[in-house]
Amino acid sequence: LAHIPDGVLSVPVLATGGVMAVAGIGFAVRRLEERDIPRVAILSAAFFALSLVAIPAGPATIHLLLGGLMGLILGPSVFLAVFAALLLQSVMFGFGGLTTLGVNTFNIAVPGWLCGLLLRPAIASADTGKAAMLAGIGSALAVLATGGLVALALYWSSPDYAVSAKIMSATYLPLAIMEGLVAGFCVSFVKRVKPELLHLRTGDA
Amino acid sequence: MPDMMRWRMLRAAIAAALFLVSGPAMAHRLKLFTSVENGIISGYGFFIGGGRATAASIIFRNSGGIELHRMTVDTKGEFRWKPPRPQDVKVILNAGDGHATETIIAAQRLAASDGPAGGVRHPAQGAASPATGISAKAPAAISQEQQKQIAALIEKQVDEAVARQIRPLLEAYARAEGRVRFNDIMGGIGMLVGLAGIALWAMGRRRKNRSDAT
Repeated sequence: LAHIPDGVLSVPVLATGGVMAVAGIGFAVRRLEERDIPRVAILSAAFFALSLVAIPAGPATIHLLLGGLMGLILGPSVFLAVFAALLLQSVMFGFGGLTTLGVNTFNIAVPGWLCGLLLRPAIASADTGKAAMLAGIGSALAVLATGGLVALALYWSSPDYAVSAKIMSATYLPLAIMEGLVAGFCVSFVKRVKPELLHLRTGDA
Repeated sequence: MPDMMRWRMLRAAIAAALFLVSGPAMAHRLKLFTSVENGIISGYGFFIGGGRATAASIIFRNSGGIELHRMTVDTKGEFRWKPPRPQDVKVILNAGDGHATETIIAAQRLAASDGPAGGVRHPAQGAASPATGISAKAPAAISQEQQKQIAALIEKQVDEAVARQIRPLLEAYARAEGRVRFNDIMGGIGMLVGLAGIALWAMGRRRKNRSDAT
């Protein structure tokens, strides 16, 4: 549900989301170094492909977001990875709107970025098990935060959405658990195989 | 140990590949299926790769954006409504959770299935007296009007029958249309890798220019 289509949100919400996303992308571009680019592309591709796979959950379907994992590995570049993948999904499949691109980018990237910002130092110094656990919890919380932001965007556009916002929060819970497991597994794997991926760069956030 | 690791990686890669190939469905994108039969607009909203939207509201608007009718779908997610007269109707389905979609039904479609035949009530009325005995002329004179009505009736019947017959086909098409294919996903990944290549090239060029300048 993180891919809000066109015609649902009100103009002020769209504008705010757009401005915030542009700010995030600008910040990320300025911080981007040449050696980060392949990493951004790989995670963007992973997000692009995985978030197209629908997993049935009750009456609706859910899909992975990988926001937390992207934030942990990419830092602020999560904005670029999310934006590029969402743009392609929107243009190629009509999955998520073009006018809502900013809002959707913001909703997915910001929780991921915060997850990375807050947890990277701890994960970098922790042992594998603890790092995996931290990453799992962080990613699960990032998913819930994305759900909260989506609900907020809907509510701000029209209070009619308030009830469904509650329903939506309920569908985000199984996703949060799943996402936490995936992120935990990935981080434990990275920690064993290529721990420097999770290390902090000088002056990195 | 490295062997074990490699095996694990391979296993994870195979699992991921199977996962992708087995059912890449568009994650809960909402689509609206509509059909017109007898001047009645009916249909339902469904999530690609998922079920129908059962708590959705439907709004019908005319081409000027004026609301004609508003309703909620039934427990099966379906709706039916007959516009008062044939006109362009925009059907907007809102699932209430941030999913919305719309489609336009042209007046022509509504008119075709609710056309002149709708007024055919007495096809035999106006027929001249059958007892005139002038069998060669009378039927031709009579049937001009009748023929029109019969033709209209047949057209209406055919329209209805065709609409009924192709409905499952259109439904299947609507479902198939939204599915993401493996090739599309691979294309998207390729495009992202290409973007990364462009970015690397641009950055490398900028660095080269800078070092040339100094």
